[in-house]
Amino acid sequence: MRTVLIDTLLSLLFLVLQTTIIRFLAVQMIVPDLILLWIVYLAVRRGQIAATTGGFLLGLAFDLLSGPDSMLGLAALSKTAAGFIAGYFYNQNKITQTLGGYQFILITVIASLVHNLLYFVIFLQGSGITWSSALLQYGIPTTAYTAALGLLPMLVFARRHLT
Amino acid sequence: MVKRLYDILLLFKEYFVVAFFLLTSVILLAVNDTSQIRVIRSYAVVAVGLLQDTFSFIPNYFDLRRENEVLRSMNLSLSDEVSRLREGKLENLRLRQLLELKERSEYRTISAGIVGKNLQLLRNTITLDVGERDGVRINMPIVNESGLVGKIIGASSHYAIGQILLNKDIRVSAKVQRSRVDGIIRWNGGRSLALQSVARTYDVQAGDVIITSEYSSLFPAGIRIGTVSATRQIPGSLFQSVEVSPAVDFTRLEEVFVMTYLADTSRTAAEKRIRP
Repeated sequence: MRTVLIDTLLSLLFLVLQTTIIRFLAVQMIVPDLILLWIVYLAVRRGQIAATTGGFLLGLAFDLLSGPDSMLGLAALSKTAAGFIAGYFYNQNKITQTLGGYQFILITVIASLVHNLLYFVIFLQGSGITWSSALLQYGIPTTAYTAALGLLPMLVFARRHLT
Repeated sequence: MVKRLYDILLLFKEYFVVAFFLLTSVILLAVNDTSQIRVIRSYAVVAVGLLQDTFSFIPNYFDLRRENEVLRSMNLSLSDEVSRLREGKLENLRLRQLLELKERSEYRTISAGIVGKNLQLLRNTITLDVGERDGVRINMPIVNESGLVGKIIGASSHYAIGQILLNKDIRVSAKVQRSRVDGIIRWNGGRSLALQSVARTYDVQAGDVIITSEYSSLFPAGIRIGTVSATRQIPGSLFQSVEVSPAVDFTRLEEVFVMTYLADTSRTAAEKRIRP
């Protein structure tokens, strides 16, 4: 129960960070996806169901907070899929090892690419902008930025794993 | 039988969970614009505005010096332009009086600070610290000293959400200031805009200034949108490709103005009647 409460509070914190101060980290209009990073963490730490549920709820909240022109359900859909994919890498016996190793970055990259691909294919329907060019210009840089930010928790857990 | 079903459910629970959430998301996508969702979203505008306002005190120190230099040089060139425009306005007034033309109305502007930007994965919207209480309404144009920024797409009493030009859903009737060639401005997904529906024989050159057209029902005519950066003939097409660099630097946008201009409803109604 306590774990669920802490995870919920941290989820809210990441949601607030993503909708408020993340723009200060923008590099040429590319921002990292803190929510996705948190979902990957949930997947590795708590398993596939927690990550899938977290992905859906956080995505839905993000959709609601993203302004009147956003497509409600789109972030929910792509983050659910990302959480589900990331959940495949859950191994109860290797949690700290995965969080503190290159696997965490690899899972982040895979989940982020799946997320961005799904997102752009639906979001850009009928806009005249191709999803492949959007993925190249925004999806891959966002993935790289998110993965780079993922190095911070990875290093923390690597240190914890060593000690 | 029930036990067997329960066992199957337990065995594939991850797949049932993901299927349920994916299905719910798809249903939500299908019922995107219902009145109930609009109400929830108007509350969300207030919540996000308040949150973003709380964090808006954080300045971007790295850009301040550069911005100062840009503003000084802009100030100098604008002062020069203002004096020339004053001369032009007087001349225009005189000529209009001679021709008995109506004077174009001026619009009040509402100064607004940007308290939030949603740049994630092409959503590209901004949150302004002004709302309906200040006279802001949906579809009002947003400008800054460089030109057109976008339009208001949502407003609560204290905050408003603006859709910037670098947004997949925005369309602006525009024209080339020099040759008066008309087109539609859309975002091409990159750092620039595209002037579309321009016939290949029309006179558009790199360096031409693009402004809003009088055909627009959303924006007043004459607002600077950008400059033509390149033109290209598309083989086998009746149209040419015109790339436009936006006049506004969207990466360093901090202060804007909302123009208290709304589409003439009688005009749009007449247009709808004739062209349903």
